[in-house]
Amino acid sequence: MTNDSVKLDILKLDAWFGDKQALKGISLRIKPKTVTAVIGPSGCGKSTFIRCINRMHELTPGNKVAGTILLDGADIYNDMDSMDVRRKVGMVFQKPNPFPNMSIADNVVAGLKLIDAADKKELEEMAKENLKAVGLWKEVENDLKKSGASLSGGQQQRLCIARALAMRPEIILMDEPTSALDPASTAKIEELVKALKTETTVIIITHNVQQAARISDMTAFFYLGELIEYDETRSIFESPKSPLTERYITGRFG
Amino acid sequence: MRMISRKNTDRLIAWLSLAITIIAIIPLLWIIGCVFANGASAINLEFLTDTPAPYGESGGGVANAILGTLVINTMASLFGIPIGVLTGMYLSEYASSGKFSSVIRASVESFSGVPSIIFGIFAFTLIVTTVQHYTALAASFALGLMMVPIVAKATEESMRVVSDDMREAAIALGIPKWARTVKIVLGVARGGVITGSLLAFARISGETAPLLFTSLFSFYWPTGIDQPMATLQVLIYNFALSGYPDRVLQAWGASLLLVILVVAINVVVKFATRPKYKEGV
Ligand SMILES: Nc1ncnc2c1ncn2[C@@H]1O[C@H](COP(=O)(O)OP(=O)(O)OP(=O)(O)O)[C@@H](O)[C@H]1O
Ligand SMILES: [Mg+2]
Repeated sequence: MTNDSVKLDILKLDAWFGDKQALKGISLRIKPKTVTAVIGPSGCGKSTFIRCINRMHELTPGNKVAGTILLDGADIYNDMDSMDVRRKVGMVFQKPNPFPNMSIADNVVAGLKLIDAADKKELEEMAKENLKAVGLWKEVENDLKKSGASLSGGQQQRLCIARALAMRPEIILMDEPTSALDPASTAKIEELVKALKTETTVIIITHNVQQAARISDMTAFFYLGELIEYDETRSIFESPKSPLTERYITGRFG
Repeated sequence: MRMISRKNTDRLIAWLSLAITIIAIIPLLWIIGCVFANGASAINLEFLTDTPAPYGESGGGVANAILGTLVINTMASLFGIPIGVLTGMYLSEYASSGKFSSVIRASVESFSGVPSIIFGIFAFTLIVTTVQHYTALAASFALGLMMVPIVAKATEESMRVVSDDMREAAIALGIPKWARTVKIVLGVARGGVITGSLLAFARISGETAPLLFTSLFSFYWPTGIDQPMATLQVLIYNFALSGYPDRVLQAWGASLLLVILVVAINVVVKFATRPKYKEGV
């Protein structure tokens, strides 16, 4: 099954919250260095889906996952430790969540510092490099010691992306990363997402179908816990195969 | 009509509660005023730098008692605060809703209601009767135990209100549980932990009963932490009842010092808890 052109291979994925099944038999393959958009109406299982990919769904007692997820051919549920999975699969949340007790620079390297205890010079370099990668360096280079919570919402979200990038993840999951932001900050993050795929693989949930069309290579449309359609973004938007997909992207429900 | 009468009721209640508040703080201001009026004249350089004068002689100071209170409180804090923080951390981040944790939670709860004299008797029985002499260490042990529930509760409560967003962000980075708990959750909650620790320190600064059983008193500079040691609290107790006017005056002066210490801690707490940024908690 190992295949260079498959980064993530998801096979018959089911997920439950207690007795309530939130994902039903999801199968899809994601190519490396692409951006995949996950769209669908509220409650269709988008967040649950990506939280299975970094093994965060299982954290709540009573939640269950079945099926297989292969990351570069390795079964993330059977061959890998959950902590290793989360290091390789980064996540950016809807609400920017920098650590308010840490400086801007420390936020970027929080993971490295608390897991590997790298040396100070190296951490400073990593902080700078990743702040540059998210276009935040110029804005904060004189405020590196200030609290991460002192930034604007859009800056905080880019800081959170830098924090995820610092772990050098294979995949970055984003759960509606721009839904709490103003249009200018949203545009910056969209540019950033497009740039990220030279290094990593991005899976991004969005409620904004135009955003999906603008930034993604592939689009997955979910409905009631099922994957209805998964194809190149252009095909999904130009000639959707399912009438449900068509109704959703033309804004007739959801 | 109804609007007007409701407005009047509002006003009545506002005035009434203001009046009651003023009545309630009068005794407090009276006590503080009394301590200042009586104690201020006792305070001079000799009072702050010298040991007590022998009976019948005037002059002397309470410097050994100031030092003793600080030493005993500091040792109590070194012992009580870490245990309190660990207990609070356990209750907030590790305890499930099971039997064991509810027993611990209930013990912490009732621990804080135990009269201080009981801690004194406990330390007396455990330490003083064993080593056969009064010792400052026993005092710190008793006071440290009294700090534990205060610090534990403050820690638990301030860690609990840290948003789960912080925990999830840390989990998503692959940070192990101990580091999430100590560096992230405790780090975000540190303001509340510091406040609780300072308040616990202020609380034990006023305790006298446990000291009567443990450190007792001394007219001289401390000779070691395993020896009897003067404290402001016990000095006030001894001198106020001594019958010598000079000593009674010095007891007032010592009371003033204690009041200043406690007020100063509360002012520091006010500063420490003033948020610098709108934190994401
Ligand atoms: N903690 C929970 N307990 C029980 N059911 C839940 C829980 N969280 C989510 N669900 C249910 O699981 C389903 C999928 O939820 P999920 O959060 O994945 O949807 P979503 O597509 O991300 O929605 P949104 O666009 O609103 O974020 C929903 O029907 C939801 O009601
Ligand atoms: Mg969601």
